[in-house]
Amino acid sequence: MREITPSDALTSTMRWFISIRYFLSHKRQSLVCIAGVTISVMMFITMSAMMDGFTDKFIIETVESTGHITIHDEPRERETRILQRVYADPNALLVVEGVKPRDKVEKIKNPSGLLATLRRMRGITGVAPMVTGDAIATYGTKTLNLSIMGVEPSQQVAVTTIGDKMIEGDFSRLKTTADGLIIGRGVSDILGAKIGDSVTLSSSTGGHASAKVVGIFATGVTPVDYARAYMLLNDAQTLLDRKNIVNEIVLRTDDYTRAEAYAAQIEAICGYRTESWQESNANFLKIFRIQTIITYFITGALLVVAAFGVLNILIMAVLERVNDIAILKSFGLSRNDITLIYVFQGLVIGLIGSLLGVGLGKLAIEGLRRLPIQMEGLVKVEGLLMSEHLSSYVTAFVASMLVVLLAAVYPARRAARYDPVEVIRGAH
Amino acid sequence: MALTSLMTQIETPKPRTGDALLRAQNVHRILGSGETANVILKGVDLAIARNEYLSIVGASGSGKSTLLYLLGGLDRPTRDNLQGEPYTPSSRIFIDNQDTWLLNDAELAMLRNRKVGFVFQFHYLLKEFTAQENVALPMLKLAKWPRDEAMDRSAALLKQLGLADKLRRRANRLSGGEQQRVAIARALANEPDVLLADEPTGNLDKRNSDLVADIFNQLAAAGQSIVMVTHDQTLAHRANRLVGMEDGNVISDEMLRQPAGG
Repeated sequence: MREITPSDALTSTMRWFISIRYFLSHKRQSLVCIAGVTISVMMFITMSAMMDGFTDKFIIETVESTGHITIHDEPRERETRILQRVYADPNALLVVEGVKPRDKVEKIKNPSGLLATLRRMRGITGVAPMVTGDAIATYGTKTLNLSIMGVEPSQQVAVTTIGDKMIEGDFSRLKTTADGLIIGRGVSDILGAKIGDSVTLSSSTGGHASAKVVGIFATGVTPVDYARAYMLLNDAQTLLDRKNIVNEIVLRTDDYTRAEAYAAQIEAICGYRTESWQESNANFLKIFRIQTIITYFITGALLVVAAFGVLNILIMAVLERVNDIAILKSFGLSRNDITLIYVFQGLVIGLIGSLLGVGLGKLAIEGLRRLPIQMEGLVKVEGLLMSEHLSSYVTAFVASMLVVLLAAVYPARRAARYDPVEVIRGAH
Repeated sequence: MALTSLMTQIETPKPRTGDALLRAQNVHRILGSGETANVILKGVDLAIARNEYLSIVGASGSGKSTLLYLLGGLDRPTRDNLQGEPYTPSSRIFIDNQDTWLLNDAELAMLRNRKVGFVFQFHYLLKEFTAQENVALPMLKLAKWPRDEAMDRSAALLKQLGLADKLRRRANRLSGGEQQRVAIARALANEPDVLLADEPTGNLDKRNSDLVADIFNQLAAAGQSIVMVTHDQTLAHRANRLVGMEDGNVISDEMLRQPAGG
């Protein structure tokens, strides 16, 4: 590699000297270009923070309140059914009439043995047995369908953050209060039931129970807060007519992002359908990905518009300075020098615009975070959720610099191609 | 103006040698191709020694400006005739014995930067820059002097050309004569072997034309090689050597007086 000499540095200084002076001679147009880059970078950073904020909140709340992995009492279909084995053609339409559903209670066999095995697995930091089912809650004249979770409180708080999400009462009171019930804030709001109130529960299997509200939680995830209730495992088994049955096991891992890999490993061991939080929320995650794509598309379009601005101003700058280019070449500037003079102008616009965009993006995030907005959709939030990631800043900065530099290359190369003799002849 | 002292200060007088500083060998120049081809130069042979002050005269379209650009490495001669066959002897330009055809664009640009200073009919100053900065630019490209020294040298050159009070004035705020003097200072900035001037007084009034002519005379007297293209016969006859051109050919070559130091 050729060493950089002091004369290289001086030549580079000269290029910068000319670039900056040209840049300053068109302050208004340059400012418009910078504004375009600034806005697109700021929009990207702000919109990314908004999208990420919502996504992160949903993921964290969902993952933390429901566990990283759930083992269900359903065996994963691995074997091909007999008819399909006989008629191997995948396009064959198989019609079987008069099939009666099997009267079989789904359950996880030998749950205590499985729990012990799971506890010994690397990467698993907590396991908790559960029985789940649906019940109708009645309080006064109000009724509501509830998703009942029968849990062992001490084990449940080890796999989820439900213990931390209690806004009234304490999760451990399930253990100390007979027929205790912990409900979500939404459930409490709809039924009107408060701490100490007795709620009647009726399951689809005919079980009835009168449960006393001993706690109210709020995870911030609307589907959870408006439909979930926790009971002691034994009480839930009785209500749901599933004596001694465990139909779900919830696990916590040391890294929730690796839940899919752990789930596949566990499923291979136990044979039951094992869902990671990513699989359980695949639809939502798909929506978030689409949102991200839309964000990239909108801000990318803004950046392209800004780049066209840069392209336009630099083409104008080249056309206005054809004579300058000729004279610069006459006293020894090479094509490369001329190209760099115009690329540097693009670089200056990109650099100032991107840095301003990053700064304003940061300010916009802080400002939006402080806006007194209450929203309750998929998640309930107070104030806009803004999640900052260094990668968003870096992506916005690098992308804008690249796009602006690309936009500068065409006029720069065009400038470098001018033949000084043709220019001087034209002026004669 | 004491340009002689300036030249002594900024340049060690070059000894005159028998070697040509600029040499045109059977130079042809054709613009365009096919039916639209325009033959500008038709085999020009010319050798210009160091310290010479040479004027090229001729009617419009005689090819004198084209020859000047070729001699300064701003353009390259055409190598093949319209039938695609190379000229014999080959059509070449030598600047200080370097064949311009053998140099790539960057090398040729560097050669111009080190050896040649151009003055055009129109000054072509960079209007966003001050007079001093305009003169300093070729020095910054050559990178022979640090930036501050280049600016000092630029100021010294402009002072010698009577522009001491215009150093920091933007180029577009100078009069026509002042702009042309700045352009001459810029052409001299890198102590070029040769100053090439294309109708340097063509855009000036009589007073400024005389001023420029005096500057050229002083430079020539100080040993600066000058090649000037002009319509002005009076100006042309102030040179030491007069070359006449017509229809792409050199038709006369007359030594008017011995060059300084020659």
